[in-house]
Amino acid sequence: MENLLEIKNLTVEYHTQGEIVRAVNGLSLSLRQGESLGLVGETGAGKTTTALSILQLVADPPGKIMGGEIFFEGVDLLKTKKSLLRSVRGNKISMIFQDPMTSLNPVYSVGFQIAEVIRLHESCSQEEARRKAGEMLEMVGIPKERYDEYPHQFSGGMKQRVVIAMSVACSPRIILADEPTTALDVTIQAQVLELMNDLKEKLQTSMLLITHDLGVVAQVCDRVAIMYSGEIVEQGTIPEVFDHPAHPYTIGLFGSIPTLSMSSTKLTPIDGQMPDPTELPAGCSFSPRCPYARAECHKEKPGITRIPGEETHELRCFALGWELPDEALMEVIKRGR
Amino acid sequence: MADNILEVKHLKKYFKTNRGTLHAVDDVNFSIRKGETLGLVGESGCGKSTIGRLILGLHSATSGEILFNGQDICRMDAQQMHSMRRQMQIIFQDPFSSLNPRMSISEIIGEPLIIHKIVSSRAELDKRVLELMDVVGLSQRLENSYPHELDGGRRQRVGIARALSLTPQFIMCDEPVSSLDVSIQAQVLNLLKDLQAEFGLTYLFITHDLSVVKYFSDKIAVMYLGQLVETADSDELFRNTLHPYSQALLSAIPEPRAHHKMQRVKLTGELTSPINPEPGCRFAKRCLYAAPYCTGQDPVLQDFGGNHFCACFRAEELREEAAGAAE
Repeated sequence: MENLLEIKNLTVEYHTQGEIVRAVNGLSLSLRQGESLGLVGETGAGKTTTALSILQLVADPPGKIMGGEIFFEGVDLLKTKKSLLRSVRGNKISMIFQDPMTSLNPVYSVGFQIAEVIRLHESCSQEEARRKAGEMLEMVGIPKERYDEYPHQFSGGMKQRVVIAMSVACSPRIILADEPTTALDVTIQAQVLELMNDLKEKLQTSMLLITHDLGVVAQVCDRVAIMYSGEIVEQGTIPEVFDHPAHPYTIGLFGSIPTLSMSSTKLTPIDGQMPDPTELPAGCSFSPRCPYARAECHKEKPGITRIPGEETHELRCFALGWELPDEALMEVIKRGR
Repeated sequence: MADNILEVKHLKKYFKTNRGTLHAVDDVNFSIRKGETLGLVGESGCGKSTIGRLILGLHSATSGEILFNGQDICRMDAQQMHSMRRQMQIIFQDPFSSLNPRMSISEIIGEPLIIHKIVSSRAELDKRVLELMDVVGLSQRLENSYPHELDGGRRQRVGIARALSLTPQFIMCDEPVSSLDVSIQAQVLNLLKDLQAEFGLTYLFITHDLSVVKYFSDKIAVMYLGQLVETADSDELFRNTLHPYSQALLSAIPEPRAHHKMQRVKLTGELTSPINPEPGCRFAKRCLYAAPYCTGQDPVLQDFGGNHFCACFRAEELREEAAGAAE
């Protein structure tokens, strides 16, 4: 299948006083038509920077896209003209931000803010834009009558619906959703996830869903990429990664989350913290925390390899070449499910 | 009962607002036994943090009793409260705003010891602070660091060390891990569990995350708009969920498993306003099973055997229905 979006070797750095923060380090990723990909990682893993780079919204300074290519509809977004980028942003690729409270403008009515996107990207009259914006509101489950109300009159879940309406207003090819439900309560989160799933099916949009919640990914996405220190360490379809997590970091993540189905035994967290992005370790960036690390892991960076026998499951770990007789490891994997 | 460290009876807290009286906590009863963990679960705005603050005397109750070791906290004067606070401590949700940025780690952890005049000399203070840092797994070299130099997980450890410094019997944890990353969250949860075993601590664990609570608590109380709707032992609650709201809450949690699509009990709408609530079940407007008699009269917690209480007019009926459907 054709890749709608292809990121190759993306490197993003933040240059601050005398320090260089390596946020994204040679990341490659692809997104197919109609597919939703979950990008999972902890704070500081570079998830948001990746998404912002696609639309070139990384603040410069201090942020700098140092290299790489981002192909969308055959054009490298990193080398294209500003005017073309403007026609892509919010139109063909739109973004849902984490915090609905701060991503809406408090002094404009919600309807106006949705209509603004439509007026900007489609040549249509005021009335036409208003009509369309009203339809969008209805589509996300808000009555048209609330068109002229202001963000403060809406609850958190409703505001996020407004943001979603805004992001689908121009029928984008891709939605970049950055932790769209993190600020919401669980029952509201479930409603919003369902809405996003419905819209995705209806509009055949592709989605890049950024989250730290493996549960959300399992419910919404087709594929998942696990990110650590600005790199993708493992990716594959949901069953591939969730049934057989292979990277020690992924395994650690599954061991860290209490789930409803597990009996209340002790969690098996990953020791230590993420490496400081200003001083990344020489070899594999996970090696200082990895319980299985060998000498080679600390010296050399492992490349990405396809796991034998699986279709799309890829891994950045030397252990793939080792015999893995570790029973304890298998135990963790089983308990994680 | 003698072994109850904390008993809350008919606790009410109303706030006056411009639009009317906000019923933040409305007639709540529960008790915690020594050495146990009670998980208080609910969505934002349900009043769970208010309960925590009432227990610590940070708010004064509108009416009701809070018995801590048999003594009513609501009727204490400032001096009594001061000495009572040695026995009860809090771990806050946000390790970024709950530590004074201008104090070093050792000053933060040592401050309660000075306030309560527990140590007599500088040397004793330093020794105790280092002990505490060791207990929560902070390395000694951080002694003179400031909060901004630490990451969230370590900051939360500082907050825990501070709470432990007075060797309290009871610690209230208000969403202690919700602002941490998952791998760090697990470290902190494990630490809290180890400390409980080591020092025989009693926890009131306030959270919105049912999966954390299942892992952590002996008993669980589910709260909705200022009232408890269901309380039960942890395993019992998850095995045999009675209240429609608890069921919805449970089913809304996305499970991190492949081939496991959510079978959601659909909840429409959102939390109704706790300002001037009408009598009747507060969940009725969003409830799938609401009947006409659910409004007009407040449901009370009914005993369903085995320490399982549920405040729903139709719980019995629904349970039988479910049992019938299973057969």
